[in-house]
Amino acid sequence: MMARVLPAARRYGIAVVTVALFALLAATTDGFLSQANFRNILDQQSALLIAASFATITMIAGGFDISAASVYVVAPLFALRVENSTGNVVLAVAVGVAVGLVVGVANGLVVTALKVNSFIATLATSFMVFGAGFLISDRSVLRASTDAYPAIARTRWWGITTGAWIAAAVVAVAWVLLSRSRFGRHVYAAGGNAEAARLAGVPVARVKTICFAMAGAAAGLAGVVSSSRSLSALPSDDFSFVFGVIAAVVVGGTSIAGGEGAVWRTIAGAFFIALMINGFNLHQIDPIWQRVIQGAVILAAVAIDSWTQRRSQ
Amino acid sequence: MKSAEALLAVRNVSKRFGATHALKDVSVTFEAGRVHGLVGENGAGKSTLCGVALGVHNPDSGGLVLGGSPLRLDSPAQGAAHGLVGVAQELSLLPAMGVVDNVVLGSEEHWGPFVKHRANRRRVEALIAEHGLEVPLDARTGSLPVADQQKVEILRALGRESRLVVLDEPTARLASHEAADLCSTVRELAKQGVAVVYVSHFLNEVLSVADTVTVMRDGRIVRTGPAEAETHESLVEGMTGRHIGEIFPPKPPAPGGDAGVVLRVRDLCSAGGEFSDVSFDIRAGEILGLAGLVGAGRSDVAHAIYGASRVASGSVEVGDRRLSGTVEDALANGVGLIPESRRDQGLMARRPVRDNTTLPHLRRFRGWLGIRTGREQTAAGQACDHVGVRAESMLAPVEALSGGNQQKVLFARAILGEPRLLIADEPTRGVDVGSKRAIYEALNAMARSDCAVLLVSSELEEVIGTCHRALVMRSGRIVAEYAGADMVDANLLAAAFGAGETTAARPR
Repeated sequence: MMARVLPAARRYGIAVVTVALFALLAATTDGFLSQANFRNILDQQSALLIAASFATITMIAGGFDISAASVYVVAPLFALRVENSTGNVVLAVAVGVAVGLVVGVANGLVVTALKVNSFIATLATSFMVFGAGFLISDRSVLRASTDAYPAIARTRWWGITTGAWIAAAVVAVAWVLLSRSRFGRHVYAAGGNAEAARLAGVPVARVKTICFAMAGAAAGLAGVVSSSRSLSALPSDDFSFVFGVIAAVVVGGTSIAGGEGAVWRTIAGAFFIALMINGFNLHQIDPIWQRVIQGAVILAAVAIDSWTQRRSQ
Repeated sequence: MKSAEALLAVRNVSKRFGATHALKDVSVTFEAGRVHGLVGENGAGKSTLCGVALGVHNPDSGGLVLGGSPLRLDSPAQGAAHGLVGVAQELSLLPAMGVVDNVVLGSEEHWGPFVKHRANRRRVEALIAEHGLEVPLDARTGSLPVADQQKVEILRALGRESRLVVLDEPTARLASHEAADLCSTVRELAKQGVAVVYVSHFLNEVLSVADTVTVMRDGRIVRTGPAEAETHESLVEGMTGRHIGEIFPPKPPAPGGDAGVVLRVRDLCSAGGEFSDVSFDIRAGEILGLAGLVGAGRSDVAHAIYGASRVASGSVEVGDRRLSGTVEDALANGVGLIPESRRDQGLMARRPVRDNTTLPHLRRFRGWLGIRTGREQTAAGQACDHVGVRAESMLAPVEALSGGNQQKVLFARAILGEPRLLIADEPTRGVDVGSKRAIYEALNAMARSDCAVLLVSSELEEVIGTCHRALVMRSGRIVAEYAGADMVDANLLAAAFGAGETTAARPR
């Protein structure tokens, strides 16, 4: 009995823990079980989910992309520049996504062709992209000039914001791509054992480059959605977005070493962290303490993951 | 022979790991100044027994007796403190550091926080002089040949005044002349009064180096006795518990002169200089052996044919199509490769058996929403059944399988591609005797179905026992070809080492 339950618990641990947290909050916290609260959580998580679902794929392929933060900050600056000068929102979104795509392709080529460690490569490109953000925005806040731009993420369909719908669509695409497609299998193979993958006919460099490209485009879209929600974009060199992304991916149980993981894991990880913060806020816990606890929880999640994996060998 | 003194006795030890009973009431005595060979199939309990002797595993019952008094070990560090040292299958050296640093690692001569480099070097020089283990001291450890790296590891063990040294598969990664060197090193160790435990799959090696041999099977000791009383055959019988008689199944009939040529290699030269001017043919249904020492360029030729490494000139034709030199093209033209190292080049350890089997052939299962996993699973299951993979489920991670079964998964992968040419690079390395036979049978079955087979092997008996014809490589060139009655140990060895140029025949 235990012999069967334990591996399953290990496999679906993060989902079990997230559901348990949900039940705990539902039982103990006033105001948690309300439609307004859930809608709010979904809307707040939309940008992170968009970027994290493709960051998961990159990490499984053996890449570590921290340029997502810079793309997230800078892509909407390009998008709003276009929107301000042309009034064309479709073009603005396309430019925002394209900025991410270009950065992603560059990351991919640097990592695969020049064989630079992906953490270092994306750290370097991050600085360049952050710099480009200050240049394009002239160091000032850019605001949406049309009504259409805010509508990208703020329109409500059946009570849910379009930001959340976009996130759901992106997550679905990433999920199917990773779990059902030939490309997905190649991603697992490239990250699990690159040499073995090469000898099995997997074009490892191409697969990795595509992963970085898609992750870049997703981070660009995440930035556009976020700026649409907040009606503006501000140039900065703030890395915090990517830390949220990595936390969601890693708490979900995707291996930093590559070769293992899943999109559903990242969704569970993201909601685990989001529910935790939501609970803190509803209980009015000091935000400073929230950070301390959040860090401890991430550490615990990763330590438990590494411990169970050692045990299962 | 002087009577040996018992150093470490293992008394009635049992050990379980979850559901597996790794050791069942095992008792054995290791004697000072003796080389004690330990043989058995994979999973027989050899590594667990060594682990218990070194303090890596704590026995569930029973215990150790060191020099007459009971000993309890809770960690390998405690074992090392008593002079019980292991030299692992995978070397535990720091490749970027120098030889001296590696030998004295953890026991450096120091003055406060400062390492005394000259004192350490003198200590290592003294060790080398004492034991006659020559190693270039100024080299970066990682740049040394594997045999030298092993010497470094042995020097480290000697430097700690070891009383018992466990060598686990020390020659698995060595060429035969390096292995011979290592065996004399081992004898030297024993002469110094050290008790040596020598674990190996190479039975002839164990017979030549060991004084005493213990045969294990299924967690029990079958027998312990003097090595002179054992033969290759008696060890195999003891390990497997059945009378195998011959490890090699009868060869399929050699193809007649009318059988079509499947692979045609002409004047192939590698871009990196590993081999040059390689030309040969393989006919449908033929098993061709590629023999030679490690580093002679055999695997490089295999990889070049498969499109996995770049060539400078020459051509590879399969059927009548010239291959473009990419893996994708080779796969599309019916070439399959079973790579040399299943762990480094073959498998994604943590992915399911199914995914590992179908990876190169996923196009075949294309559906409207990605892979049709139902069909994929059926096909993978059939291929795995065909070669006798024993797995709980097609979705179990491949690392959960035994070494032999992992190797069979690679066979299943190749067979799923219905290859016209199968390249098997050391397909039985690190595989137990029972699985070896299954793998030879799989190779024969491929040949019977008119597949051309290229078998790259450093075990001469394997080449002689399975191939219709053998090519011998030396220093990147094909130096000899043998078939039929000429294909014997002495000829192949002479050609591989270059001693006495015999009937060096080159294919037209």
